[in-house]
Amino acid sequence: MGPVELLHMSVFSQTFSPCGRFLAAGNNYGEIAVFSLSAALSPDATGMSQKPILTFAAHEGPVFSLISTDTHLLSAGNGEISAWSWAELTKRSTKALWTRRPNYKTSLEIPEINAMIVNSKDNSLIVGGGDNNIHIMDMETGTFKSVLQGHKDYIHCLSFREREGELLSGGEDGAVRIWGELIAHQCLQKSLLVSVTYLGECTRPQFGKWIGCLTTDSDWMLCGGGPALSLWHLRSMSPTSVFSLAGCQREAVFYQDLILTVGEGPYVSHCVPGGTVKAQIPSSSPSLNTLTLNLNSNEHRVMTTAGSSDQIDVFTNFSYRAFSLSF
Amino acid sequence: MSTDPLKKRKTKVIRGDGGTPETKRIRGDADQAKFPPALPLVGQRKLYSGRKQDVRVYNEEVELEGRDTEQDYILYKSTCEAVAKLMAEIQDLKASGAKEGSMEVEERRRRGSVHFIALKKLNRMAHMRLKKARDQTHEAKQRVDVLHLQLQNLLYEVLHLQKEIGKCLEFRSQHEEIELVSVDEFFQEAPAEISRPHLTKEDPHQLTLARLDWELEQRKRLAEQYKSSLCTKEKILKGIEMKKEYLNSLQPGLQAIMQASLPVQEYLSMPFERVQKQAEVARHLPPPLYVLLVQASAYGQACDTNLSVSISGDVDEAKALSRPPEDSQDDESDSDAEEEQQNTKRRRATVGVQLDDKRKEMLKRHPLSLCIELNCKDGSILHLFFYYLMNLNILTVKVKVSASADLSGAISAGELLNPESLLNCLYASDHGQETPNPANRYQFDKVGIVSFADYVAELGHPYVWVQSLGGLHFSSDSPQVEGPHSSLSASHMESTMKLLRGRLQARLALHKQFSSLEHSIVPVSNECQHLFPAKVVSRLAHWTMMSYEEFVELSFVQHVMKAGLVRNTDLFFMATVERGTARLQAAVVLNPRYPEITPLFSLSLLWKGERSGRTDDNLRAMESEVNVFRSELQGPRPGLQLLTNQMQRLCVCLDVYLETESQVCDGSEGPREFPREKMCLRTARGPNRLKPFKYNHPQGFFSHR
Repeated sequence: MGPVELLHMSVFSQTFSPCGRFLAAGNNYGEIAVFSLSAALSPDATGMSQKPILTFAAHEGPVFSLISTDTHLLSAGNGEISAWSWAELTKRSTKALWTRRPNYKTSLEIPEINAMIVNSKDNSLIVGGGDNNIHIMDMETGTFKSVLQGHKDYIHCLSFREREGELLSGGEDGAVRIWGELIAHQCLQKSLLVSVTYLGECTRPQFGKWIGCLTTDSDWMLCGGGPALSLWHLRSMSPTSVFSLAGCQREAVFYQDLILTVGEGPYVSHCVPGGTVKAQIPSSSPSLNTLTLNLNSNEHRVMTTAGSSDQIDVFTNFSYRAFSLSF
Repeated sequence: MSTDPLKKRKTKVIRGDGGTPETKRIRGDADQAKFPPALPLVGQRKLYSGRKQDVRVYNEEVELEGRDTEQDYILYKSTCEAVAKLMAEIQDLKASGAKEGSMEVEERRRRGSVHFIALKKLNRMAHMRLKKARDQTHEAKQRVDVLHLQLQNLLYEVLHLQKEIGKCLEFRSQHEEIELVSVDEFFQEAPAEISRPHLTKEDPHQLTLARLDWELEQRKRLAEQYKSSLCTKEKILKGIEMKKEYLNSLQPGLQAIMQASLPVQEYLSMPFERVQKQAEVARHLPPPLYVLLVQASAYGQACDTNLSVSISGDVDEAKALSRPPEDSQDDESDSDAEEEQQNTKRRRATVGVQLDDKRKEMLKRHPLSLCIELNCKDGSILHLFFYYLMNLNILTVKVKVSASADLSGAISAGELLNPESLLNCLYASDHGQETPNPANRYQFDKVGIVSFADYVAELGHPYVWVQSLGGLHFSSDSPQVEGPHSSLSASHMESTMKLLRGRLQARLALHKQFSSLEHSIVPVSNECQHLFPAKVVSRLAHWTMMSYEEFVELSFVQHVMKAGLVRNTDLFFMATVERGTARLQAAVVLNPRYPEITPLFSLSLLWKGERSGRTDDNLRAMESEVNVFRSELQGPRPGLQLLTNQMQRLCVCLDVYLETESQVCDGSEGPREFPREKMCLRTARGPNRLKPFKYNHPQGFFSHR
C-alpha cells in the first residue's frame, strides 16, 4: 500500500472482538485490519503497536459493515457477507469460514451492503443495502429466509429494538421504517414513514432527505443524516429534540446519559438528550464515518472513531483523543 | 764554611741550655775527655807548622780514624770541667784580692790556655768527622739514585711492552670482514687440497686460511661468470637496438598505409581511426571517467546503438596531470604544496582570497570530460557531460537537450527541460545537490564551503547514479574509497541508460502535452479513448505553473504536505477546470520521476460555496479516482499519457459530480444548471453517498467502485 493509497483511504466500519482485546476495521480498498488494543493500550506501547497486527484483503469493494458475534467476525463487502473466526484471526490466519450472497435481482451493479445486525433471539443476520431491501439470513443454515421490501432507495442503517423485537431501518429515500414480527417467520411490515414534511424543523434541503444514522434504546430513537440529528419518542412518534450540528451525521450512539455522534467535520459531538451540544472533541480525520464503543471488556473500555483517513482515533477518556491507530 | 761551625756551636749551646743531651754533644765531650795526654803535642804541631801542613793533615786524619768518639767526648767534658774549675779559682783569687798578674793567676791562665788548645783540637776533629760522615752519606745517596733510575727504566719498558701486546691483540684483520661460507659447508664443498682437513681440523688458524683460500677461489670463478654475463647482455642489447631500428623504419610506411586507407574506412563506415584516437586520449582520463567510457561504449556496442561516447577537453593539460591512477590523494597534497608556494609569493593576499583560491583548487575539474549522447527515436538528443572533480573524487554531470522539434511553445514547460532539474530524482531521492562522498564534508569544512549545492550550477550535479556509472561507491559506513569498480558501473549502466532515455522521453512528451494544455486542450490519444465517454462537457480553462512557495500556501493541499508526498524538487501546476458556474481548481504535484510516480491532484471546487477534498467526500473520491488508479490511466507503455489522462478523467468526474449533485439536491429552484447527460445506475452509494465516478467502457454508463 503506497503513500497515495494511504492518503485516499477511508475507514468505513469497525468492530471489537468478543473478548474486547482486538479491533477490526474495514477500509475502502476492501481490506480488514486487526489491531491489538491490549498492546496499544499497554503502558509500554510503541509506534509499532499502533499498527495492525494483521491486514488482509477481504472483499472486492469497500467494507461498509463489520460486526462481531460470539465467535465470528462478519464483514460485508460488495454484495457478499463473509465470516471469519476471531480465534483464527488472532492466529494470523485469514481464510474466510464462509461467504454468502443475498439473492439480488439486479445484474448490472452488485448492490452494496451498508448495514448488518444480528438478531440474537432467532439467531438471524439482518442485512440492508443497495437493493432497497432487507434480507434476513438464518445463521444456522446459512440460507436467506425472508426479504423485507418497502424502501424506495437504498438502505443506510438498521437498528434493533430489543424489547419489542422490532427492526428499524433508515434509507436514502428519507424514510425510517419499523418492521414488526406479527406472525412467526413471516414478517409483515408495520412501517412508519418519516417524510420530509413530517420531520418539520429537522429538514435541511441543502443536504437532502436521506437518513444516515439510526439507533434506538426501545423508548427513544435517534436519527439523522441529511436532516438534522433528532431524538424521537417512539411511542408517540414525535421528535422531542433537534440537535444543531452543522454537518450530516453518520453514526450516533447512546452512552449512559450522553449521545455521541460523528459525521462530517473532524470531531466527535457529545450531546445531551435535552437538545444541546455539550462538546465537540477534535479527531484526526476531516470527517468521520464510524464510532464504536468497546463495552465488552472493562480494562479496554475505549471509544474508537474512524473516517476519511487511514487513522483510527482511540479515546480512552471520551473527552480527548488519546492516540491513533493507523493502517 | 767558617760560619757553619759557628752556627753549630751556637745551636749546641742553646741545646745545652735546654737541657736535652744530644749524641753529638756527648761524642764531642767524650773526645775532649780522652784527649788531654796528647794535647800539648797537638798544640805544638799546629802552632809551629806551616810548610808541612799536608803531612799533618794526613796525620790528623789518620789520627782521627784511630780515635774513638766516645773517648773524645769524655775528654771534652773533662776539659770543660777543668776550664770551669780554673775560672772559678781565678774568680776566687780575684775576689780574695789577688793582684792582676800574680803568680797564682798567671799559673792558672796558662793551664787554662792549654785546655782551650785541647778544646780547639777536639772541635776540629769533630768538624772533620762531620765532613767525613757527610761524604759517606752523599756517596750512598748517589748509589741509591742510580738504582732508582734503573728501576724507572725497567718499569717504563714493561709498560711499553704491555701496550704493544694490547695493540697486537686488538689488531683487526681484513679477512674478518669477508663473509665466508660456514665451516660445515666449506668442508663439504671445498676440494681436499684447499680444505686440508688433517691440518685444519685442529688448527683454527689454518682453518681460517683455508676458508679464505676457498673464498678467493670462488670469487675468482664468479667474477669470470659476471664478465661473461655482461658480454651476453651487451649482445642482447645490440640485438634489441637493431630490431627497434627495424620497427622504426616500418612506421612511416604504416602511416602511409593508414592515410591511404582513411577514405576506405569512411566509405565502409568503420571508424577504426576514431576509436584508436579516442583510446589514445582515454589513457589520460581519470579512472572513474575511464570506467564510464569503457562501460558506456561497451553498452553502446552491445545493446544500444543510439548511444555514443566522446571525450572532450584539453588533452595536453591532462597529459601534464597524468599520473598513476591511484594518486588522487597525492595530487591533492601536491596541489596543496603548489598552493602554498603561490601563497608565499603573494603573502599580502587576504585570508579571504586565499580561501577562495583553496576552494577553487578543491573544486577543480579534470581537464578531460566525457560526453555521452543518447539519441531518441524522434531525433532529439540528450547530451550528458561527465566531469571528474579531482580533489573531491566525485563525478558530476551536466545535461543538455537538443530536441528535434521546436519547443518554445509552452510557457509552463520551461522547467521541464531545465538542465538544472532535468535529471533530478532519476533514482528515488537522488537530488544531486549534496556530494555523495562523505569524506568531502571534512574537506569542505577546511576551506569553509557550507554546501556543495552552491556550486552545483557551475560544476554539475553529483548524482549518486553518476558515481555508480563511474564505478565509485561511497557507503556511509565505510568512507574509504578503493579504486573504481567496473562491475559496479556495468551493473548500473543498463538501468540508468534506460531511465535517462525514459526521462527524456517523458519530459518531451510532457512538453508537448503542456503546450496543448495551455491552449485548454486535453490531448487524449486513440489508445486511451476507451477510458472516457465521448462527450465531456467540463473544459480545462487554465494550466499554469506554480512555485513551491505558492503551492505550500494553498489551503486544500495541506493534507498532502502532511503526508510527506511533496518535495521542493517537484514541479507544481494549477489546473482550472470549468463548467458553467462551477470552477474546479486542481493543484498538481509532478514528481521528477514522472511517469513512474503518479502526479498527485488536490481538488477545490468553487460552486455554491467552496468545497475541497477535505470537506467533501465526493471530491475526495474524485481525487482518489485521479490519483490512485494509475494502472487504468497510464495508457500504453511507457505510460507517458498519464497526466493528460488524469486531466481528462478529472473533467469527466466533474461532469458526473455536477450532474448528479443537482439530482441529489433538492431541485426545486427552477431548471437545473447541469442537465443529466451521463448514464448512472445509482447516484449515491454507501454510507458516505459517493457518486458513480467509474466509467464502464463499452456500455457507456457510470458506476461505483
